[in-house]
Amino acid sequence: MRQFRNMIYPYVGWLAVMVVVPMLMILLYAFTTAGNEVTTFRFTLDNFVRFLTDAVFLDVLKRSLLIAVATTIICVIFGYPIAYVIAKGPERSGFFWIMLITLPTWINMLVRTYAWVGILQDDGLLNGFLGLFGIGPFHMIHTTFAVVLGMVYNFVPFMILQIHASLAKMDRSLIEAANDLGANPVQSFLRVTLPLSLPGVLSGITLVFLPAVSSFFIPKLLGGGQYVLVGNVIETQFLTSGDWNFGSAISLIMAVIIMLSMWLTRKVDTDPAAGGKGA
Amino acid sequence: MKKKLIQFKNIVKSYEDGKVVLKGINLDIYENEFVTLLGPSGCGKTTLLRILGGFLNQDEGQVIFDGEEISNVPPYKREVNTVFQKYALFPHMNVYDNIAFGLKLKKEPKDIIEQKVKRMLKLVNLEEYADRSVTAMSGGQQQRIAIARALVNEPSVLLLDEPLGALDLKLRKEMQHELKKIQQEVGITFIYVTHDQEEALTMSDKIVVMKEGEIQQIGTPTDIYNEPVNEFVANFIGESNIIEGMMIDDYKVVFEGRRFDCVDKGFNKNEVVDVVIRPEDLDIVPRGQGKLKGVVKSVLFKGVHYETMVETKVGTEITVKMMVSNDRPVYNEAANEKMSANDFYLDVEDVEELDEATIIARADAQAWNPDADELISIKEVDYEIKKENGKYPVTFSTAAGTSVTVNMIVKDENRVTSVENEEEIFAVNFFKKADEIQESIALETDLKTWANASAWSLEDGTAVEISDVKYDFNPETITPGVYDVTFATKGYEYKIDTTDKFEVGDEVGLMFQPEDIHIMSREQY
Repeated sequence: MRQFRNMIYPYVGWLAVMVVVPMLMILLYAFTTAGNEVTTFRFTLDNFVRFLTDAVFLDVLKRSLLIAVATTIICVIFGYPIAYVIAKGPERSGFFWIMLITLPTWINMLVRTYAWVGILQDDGLLNGFLGLFGIGPFHMIHTTFAVVLGMVYNFVPFMILQIHASLAKMDRSLIEAANDLGANPVQSFLRVTLPLSLPGVLSGITLVFLPAVSSFFIPKLLGGGQYVLVGNVIETQFLTSGDWNFGSAISLIMAVIIMLSMWLTRKVDTDPAAGGKGA
Repeated sequence: MKKKLIQFKNIVKSYEDGKVVLKGINLDIYENEFVTLLGPSGCGKTTLLRILGGFLNQDEGQVIFDGEEISNVPPYKREVNTVFQKYALFPHMNVYDNIAFGLKLKKEPKDIIEQKVKRMLKLVNLEEYADRSVTAMSGGQQQRIAIARALVNEPSVLLLDEPLGALDLKLRKEMQHELKKIQQEVGITFIYVTHDQEEALTMSDKIVVMKEGEIQQIGTPTDIYNEPVNEFVANFIGESNIIEGMMIDDYKVVFEGRRFDCVDKGFNKNEVVDVVIRPEDLDIVPRGQGKLKGVVKSVLFKGVHYETMVETKVGTEITVKMMVSNDRPVYNEAANEKMSANDFYLDVEDVEELDEATIIARADAQAWNPDADELISIKEVDYEIKKENGKYPVTFSTAAGTSVTVNMIVKDENRVTSVENEEEIFAVNFFKKADEIQESIALETDLKTWANASAWSLEDGTAVEISDVKYDFNPETITPGVYDVTFATKGYEYKIDTTDKFEVGDEVGLMFQPEDIHIMSREQY
């Protein structure tokens, strides 16, 4: 064992350089502002004050959270039944469906999102198709609908995989036991299957909510220039305005929000009353 | 007369792969019975239980419960409850909620639920554990929770699917008594599935022995133990000595060439039968005082008793010659190769099927590099052979030109036939080098291989095990010469449970009483 222990040092070094140092730099930038010729840095809370007092930015934050929450809810609503059907079916076809679901993620997310631009455009594929039946055309691109659709499309596989994993490892005899004790199919789902799959749902929520709340290219491509979410603001601060301090401060605020939401999810997960795993 | 509660009528079930697991089961189960379905894995016992529980549908036949056909009733509407093999407790609920699960579904008032759950917890001795998480409980405790969870619904039948399989021996014994006690206390029918005959004998009112989807015998534990209907049941329910015999008349049976009194009747005159004698019914007595005589072959300590094997008749034997030489391997200096092979005997019948691989194997031909200790492949095998007795040279050579010539000695078949044992045994003389015998790590197996020894039944040609290899040399100090090696099949052996310890080789007599002999008809098997 001892000889293997030394082998972790390269990883620790790698993590330190690639993860910890950038985080510390963000922390440093967020609490400082570009100084004058005498001092390079000046510590300040201005960046946070600026974000939290400007109605425009708060609007953006609110919109981002709403869209992320909407995306997550839609992912649960679509993902759960799909995962359920796959998990209840025969194992072999299960592998096949899971592969089909993960297949798109082999292609770059950006490319796939561009494809949606082509589909949703005013003279795009979807409107062309609907036109064949004399329906439409609808204006879909650059709307909230398009942004949520793009996010659901991109993130729903994470939800399905998480829920499927928790359903698939569930002992099928538990359902038989529930039936045996007098639970009809609906009752056994509500009392046994659902509570036991909650951990999967919660980790699915985490995996969808996190990228959704900070995504910037989906709103940029599908929402058009005027559809701004927090991710876009951060991007602008870093790439266009060059205000790294403000950008870092917003990132930090987002990080705190995300940490809070994860803490909440974990709390639900381990709460015995809500069906935690117990001791 | 007790009331018939469950009737299986001609239940047939096959799985998707076409395997028939139940071949027409007819079985009646009465009120307040402890019934055990006993059989080896794959005999269909669990399938039958699952059909009754409603988790599987039979292909044919009817399940009648309390006078009503229930084949189309879903499990949650059946008046039976199951204790699952791995308990299937709900991991997200504590002990109390697990047990209360069924009652809550029936929407019983809260105080009634609490009363009933408390009573169940008391019944299974887990009063203190109501608030514990089930995942924190031991196997035996989980087992009892599963029983309580099923019983609290007051079913008229409790199904138990190998519920004690996961427990250790001591706990299993405790639970056996506890289960029987619970069954007597609540007074409902228990249908218990197991492959453990001891469990079945301990707890059951009625045992149903199953094999390959068919019922072999139904009866009380004593019936099944004392009067098994066939060899399968006899072997499955405890250990047995089964000997072939013949009923010459009512109460008269012949086996091992002698006539014995017995308590069985109703067989045809001169009907061939299986004779069963339980190990605990046999006694070892001084030679000459017993009804049979034999030699002690092995003694195993079993804790309470010794399991002594006594051979009353030797098996079929064949003796062959082993020619041991001190030959050195051939050394080819130019190529730095060593090579060795030995002469071997060949059966006339085998000449036609002879090929190079067989010859290399039988002659044990090998070539190797003595420095690197690496085997070198034999490129050529030169031989000519006729299907006649005689000596035929064979030359093995490697690519580098190292070669060795040995003789194949073709001879008439060397086999011994025993009409009495209905078997035949075959082996050939063989040549070996002293160091090969010294280096053998499993000499008896090697001797069998070298002599090409095999035995088979004359009845159906199936292989018979050669259980005995006898030789009178010391393998560690063997010198060149000719040695006898004898191969033998198992003769008639009796397993006897004794409290005294006998030594291997003791000459003893065997004693038993007429009522210790159980006669089974052969046709049923």
